[in-house]
Amino acid sequence: MKNIIKLLAAASLTLGVGLVNAKEIQLLNVSYDPTREFYQEVNKEFAAQWKQKTGDDLKIQASHGGSGKQARSVIDGLEADVVTLALAYDIDSISEKGKLLSPKWQARLPLNSTPYTSTIVFLVRTGNPKVIRDWGDLARPGVSVITPNPKTSGGARWNYLAAWAWAQKQYGGDETKTRAYLSKLFRNVPVLDTGARGSTTTFVNRRIGDVLIAWENEAQLAIEEAGGKGFQIVVPSLSIRAEPPVAVVDKVVDRRGTRKVAEAYLNFLYTAKGQQLAAKHHFRPALPNLVSPEELKAFPTLQLVTIDKDFGGWKKAQATHFADGGTFDLIYKNAR
Amino acid sequence: MSYRHKNLALSFAILAALAANTNEAAARTAAANPDSKAPDTAAIDALNSRLARLEKYLGAKEEAPAQDDPEAQEQVATLEQRLLVLERKLELQQEEAATKATSTPLLTLNEKGLSAKSASGDFEIKLKGLVQADQRLFFGDDAVPQNDSFLFRRIRPTIEGSFGSLIGFRLTPEFAGDSATIVDAYVDVKFDPRYTLRVGKVKGPIGLERLQSGGATALIERAFPTELAPNRELGAQLQGELAAGRVNYVIGVYNGAPDGRDDPTTDADDNFEYAGRVFFEPWKNDANALSGLGFGIAASKGDKEGAGNNFLPRYRTPGQNIFFNYRNTVLADGEHFRLSPQAYFYRNALGLQAEYIQSKQQLLISGLPATRTDLTNTAWQVTGSWVLTGEDASYRGVVKPNSPFTSHGEGWGAFELVARYGELDIDDDAFPVYANLSTAASQATAWSVGLNWYLNSNLKLVFNHTHTKFDGGAVGGDREDEKTFFSRVQLSF
Repeated sequence: MKNIIKLLAAASLTLGVGLVNAKEIQLLNVSYDPTREFYQEVNKEFAAQWKQKTGDDLKIQASHGGSGKQARSVIDGLEADVVTLALAYDIDSISEKGKLLSPKWQARLPLNSTPYTSTIVFLVRTGNPKVIRDWGDLARPGVSVITPNPKTSGGARWNYLAAWAWAQKQYGGDETKTRAYLSKLFRNVPVLDTGARGSTTTFVNRRIGDVLIAWENEAQLAIEEAGGKGFQIVVPSLSIRAEPPVAVVDKVVDRRGTRKVAEAYLNFLYTAKGQQLAAKHHFRPALPNLVSPEELKAFPTLQLVTIDKDFGGWKKAQATHFADGGTFDLIYKNAR
Repeated sequence: MSYRHKNLALSFAILAALAANTNEAAARTAAANPDSKAPDTAAIDALNSRLARLEKYLGAKEEAPAQDDPEAQEQVATLEQRLLVLERKLELQQEEAATKATSTPLLTLNEKGLSAKSASGDFEIKLKGLVQADQRLFFGDDAVPQNDSFLFRRIRPTIEGSFGSLIGFRLTPEFAGDSATIVDAYVDVKFDPRYTLRVGKVKGPIGLERLQSGGATALIERAFPTELAPNRELGAQLQGELAAGRVNYVIGVYNGAPDGRDDPTTDADDNFEYAGRVFFEPWKNDANALSGLGFGIAASKGDKEGAGNNFLPRYRTPGQNIFFNYRNTVLADGEHFRLSPQAYFYRNALGLQAEYIQSKQQLLISGLPATRTDLTNTAWQVTGSWVLTGEDASYRGVVKPNSPFTSHGEGWGAFELVARYGELDIDDDAFPVYANLSTAASQATAWSVGLNWYLNSNLKLVFNHTHTKFDGGAVGGDREDEKTFFSRVQLSF
């Protein structure tokens, strides 16, 4: 009897201490557009794990939008504990312009702070009525192409560079022909959304366009949400390895005292569970060995260019193509 | 068949009909004018513009083109896509506008001045102004000649605003004098409407008419009690509204300004002055006959130790001429206490304002401790106003005429008659030791009448006549009466 009482007293004490010490922590993940469903599940899973490990109640909020726009919001004062954006350049700009994290942020986490990758594919209507097979078909007259605005959307920049890479290969490196091709492509774009999710809405929900140039994960998600009907994916002959990185925002976590949980949150993405969730939501796991071969079958093999090898890195790509007066501005001006 | 397809089918049908009509019209034109060229371009342009209008507005329901008409089906599909694109663009524009609205500041320019406010409303900066150009005429001034003059009495731009709900500020320079000065400069920490901390250069919380805005006073110059109340003080005060605004209070600590003047830029002696005011408007929120009644009391207490203008008063006439000051050998040496009961009553077009103030100062003649004494000077005034054109009289003047003045004669603005009587009485014990009756009057009484013409919310013309009589203040007798006619053009926003 005495032992039972002692046990109960100890349990009460532990529980009481736990309750007294349990904190409520809030974290903000500022992410790019098509990651909503993925981070919804990641946040739930990680918060449960954190609660079990520390006893603290963790509430993770997520903000989604065009990657470039999101980066600007963080620079302008949106207090993000972590950023999970579409491309490294956007996080670099937070570091350079906002002075909110170290310039060496990308070396802090494994695999260049990229726990998952994706690529760019085409989403067409079932039956592929406009017979879209490859990038060249997007420039055909009568084909309506949906892609977001590269000025605001990270996904759109990947789209543009993938098209550019294909055209460079197609036309033997002739930049004039490459630009002419891209002009024709953008002439076929009736609406420029600010982000990838907006473009998906335009194509899937508003039924505008014949083909959506999309993140692979976004295209897969659209088919999944449509119950497998209405759309199909066309894999182009060449695409780009899209590397959306993640980072802790140093100034914010140090001010808010959330560094430990923010780092643990991003590290979670590299765990088996994190990688499995990535695959589940159609992102290509950076550590495929942590994911079953069955889940990896969903990702077709295709010829991929990379930002570093084929475009000289994001700084160069941004300056050449997406800065004011870059190739996109000239091409889009010609396209109008 | 979907509603959209039917509507587009109608659009196509109407388009086809329009095309047919246009072609028929073109054919008739060609028949009537064999030599004229068929207006194909005009027809196409007409169709395009009509299609553009149809793309804006959908019509009623109609049967769709037959399923075995693929060309018509394709044209409907194309039209549908164009419409969907337009709708989507509109949707994106609306989203962008809504996003921008959350961050775009609101700029307003109206009779209250210029205001820039953040989209959230938390941050605001306002630019306001007060300009008063006077003509001042003295007549019957043989013994004490005064210069008739045009002058700027006030040129005061004001920048005020708020940063969030906690911080407010105000900065008002004065450009009317020979050199620019700062009139008001303070920061408010607005914890709660019941308690706000104000720090900086502020109006001393004593005089009722002093606390009125310089653009709202009934007459061109304030009455005698304002000569005994501090003007601007440097310090900190806690102020607030209680009981749903029916009670206002201020309690503060300041460097301590001499009567009727500003604090010097640094404390001239090592003493602070403590002041407070409480003002009641018990029926302010009720719609009854007493809703315009307000009354209160203010007081200040502190030590002053020193000679000269930073400590001792120089009382002015309504014409702004000094009629009393102490001898050069007099020092302020001890407690300075003021007490001022005050009230106003505004009811429809009629207004009444009254205040009394006493200012008691310990003084002595330099080097003669035995001459230490308390001298109490007093002043009071009563001001009545009547807005002839029916607008409400108020502590803020006539804020907005019902019929602003226009050059076509449709409106004449608002007219307000004002009248005042007041007295300033120097302690009899001041004479002859502390003040010279040959140069400093022992009493001044003044009556004034005036007309205020509010052309609109921003422009006011003021005409005043004041007659002031003195006891003493001249060799062997009384200082010559001061008779003035002042007029003013006032621009405020």
